[in-house]
Amino acid sequence: MSLVSGPGRAGGSPSDQELHTLKHVAYIQNLDTVRAPSRDDELEYWLTEHLRLNGVYWGLTALYILGHPDALPRAETIEFVLSCQHDNGGFGAAPGHDAHMLYTVSAVQVLVTVDAVDELDKRGRGGKQKVGSFIASLQDRETGCFMGDEWGESDTRFLYGALNALSLLGLMDLVDVPKAVEYIQSCENFDGAYGIRPGTESHSGQVFTCVAALAIAGRLDLVNKDRLGAWLSERQLEDGGLNGRPEKLVDACYTWWVGSSLAMIDRLHWIDGRKLAAFVLQCQLGALQIDRETW
Amino acid sequence: MGSHGVPRYKIAEKSPEARQQELQKIEKYRDLERSVSEKVAEHDYTADTLKQISELLTSNPEYYTIWNYRRQVLRHQFTQAGDSAEGDAVDSITELIKNDLLFLIPLLRSFPKCYWIWNYRLWLLDEARRLLPLPEARQIWQEEFALVGKMLTLDSRNFHGWGYRRFVVETLKQLGTADEATELTQKEFEYAKKMIGANLSNFSAWHYRTKVIQRLLDEKSASDEERKKLLDDELALIHRALIDPYDQSVWFYHQNLMCVFDPTTAGRTMAPRLSAPDRLQYLRQEIDAIQEMIDGAEDCKYIYQALIDCTLLVAKVQGSLPHADRDQILSWLSELKRLDPLRHGRWLDFERTL
Repeated sequence: MSLVSGPGRAGGSPSDQELHTLKHVAYIQNLDTVRAPSRDDELEYWLTEHLRLNGVYWGLTALYILGHPDALPRAETIEFVLSCQHDNGGFGAAPGHDAHMLYTVSAVQVLVTVDAVDELDKRGRGGKQKVGSFIASLQDRETGCFMGDEWGESDTRFLYGALNALSLLGLMDLVDVPKAVEYIQSCENFDGAYGIRPGTESHSGQVFTCVAALAIAGRLDLVNKDRLGAWLSERQLEDGGLNGRPEKLVDACYTWWVGSSLAMIDRLHWIDGRKLAAFVLQCQLGALQIDRETW
Repeated sequence: MGSHGVPRYKIAEKSPEARQQELQKIEKYRDLERSVSEKVAEHDYTADTLKQISELLTSNPEYYTIWNYRRQVLRHQFTQAGDSAEGDAVDSITELIKNDLLFLIPLLRSFPKCYWIWNYRLWLLDEARRLLPLPEARQIWQEEFALVGKMLTLDSRNFHGWGYRRFVVETLKQLGTADEATELTQKEFEYAKKMIGANLSNFSAWHYRTKVIQRLLDEKSASDEERKKLLDDELALIHRALIDPYDQSVWFYHQNLMCVFDPTTAGRTMAPRLSAPDRLQYLRQEIDAIQEMIDGAEDCKYIYQALIDCTLLVAKVQGSLPHADRDQILSWLSELKRLDPLRHGRWLDFERTL
């Protein structure tokens, strides 16, 4: 994305406005839960186990963007991912946690990132086909939407995740894509943006899931780009940061939800990228990231 | 989720005592986790297991697998209760569900943005519907309705809360008569108004209002005249709200209302069958009303945006954009370029389309 100045290239900003790449890399390595964990003497480590596999995806992706793809060990990463898989093909957050769409998507993303999808076959777990069938089994063939797991929570987060993982695996033909597209359309509001389910308020997190799902399905033609672009661009406030909905506070996380959505509909230039970058850099706190406000 | 709004500072060096305490907490937590997992693996779905599950979820409500364990235990208890004499079965299942709903209240208060808790609660309520006779199920859902109001009073923008309210209302309608359903919609209409009155910036309430209005009119099979009357009321309301023209939420509701006059969206709005002359008349009245707002609020960009949008709608309805209107748009656009540099790229793109 052209929004950020890129690794170590803060482009003439004052010194406190630089991206502290190496500190971020060190921070992620410190969170490394793939190898023998260094933080198992902290209660927080145990209370966040339900995020483990997502965390590997976030950390790994950040490292690739920061230009340090090898900062986490590949073999152990693959080992950890596979240790989270269940017989039904789905993945849990950590070994022993139930299979769920959210972690299955992260597992696929991580395996694709480190080019190790074939490991699924080697370990005799039914290969990628099995993963695909787990995801496909969660589609509601009536509505086109997807559930998170067998217990039935259903919304556009899971729909996007399903299409993301299936497209990475080359298995989109396992699901009813036109039905899924119809469901997304039913979540569109008059402001051009999308809610989490039909009839719900527009929210930029859900704009991302819906627009990204349409992008994967090759149906961005269905988006009212000017209307949505206008709504998204109004998320930027004077301090350069982005909020998630009208009259809410800014938060660093919306940089991604709003920014990537604008990029997908070719409207990234409808906000001030320099001011946004400055805002994001301000959110750095030493080696740690800090969100400035509540969402 | 933990990160949002919670500053994550580097943890200061801990004293040996604090360290020791933390290690003890970890041990206790992991023992509990191990015990729960073992019991569920052995299908030991007893009251004692449920108690341990409650303890574990209270210390970590994001632990989704444990919520699934809780469902398994509850399902088992429902089946057991179902084996008793009919009246007793209803009583026992009702009690199980009510107790479990109560267990969730403090968790929802402490973690109002945790998807798993909301999701579990819905599952529980659906179980009530699946397992109990209509009157008992309805009563449980009605009590739920009162709770949703309280949750939204605590955080009037919580989208979980609003989505949940919508769901509870829809279910209550399905569980009641058609008249009761209409009455409920009318109440929701008033509720949205009350929430907007409490805070004009609450777009969640404005959004809810748009949806309730549609349902209200459809359920009443309202005539075109009635629809037009409600539209007039809404326009009057929004004009009163626009006394503060710097509020984005109010303008987005205005934009929503303007969809009534847009030939491509009108069919999905509260007044789908207005004639073209009617639409034009409404739009011209809007343009006049908004122009009057400029006085004293010359630096308010939303006013110029709305003027441009309404003028473009006039062009859409009548099929052409007269030169004079185009010039007007260009002059409002120059104000926007001056007042709104953050979105400069958007205004340049728009200029090219004219």
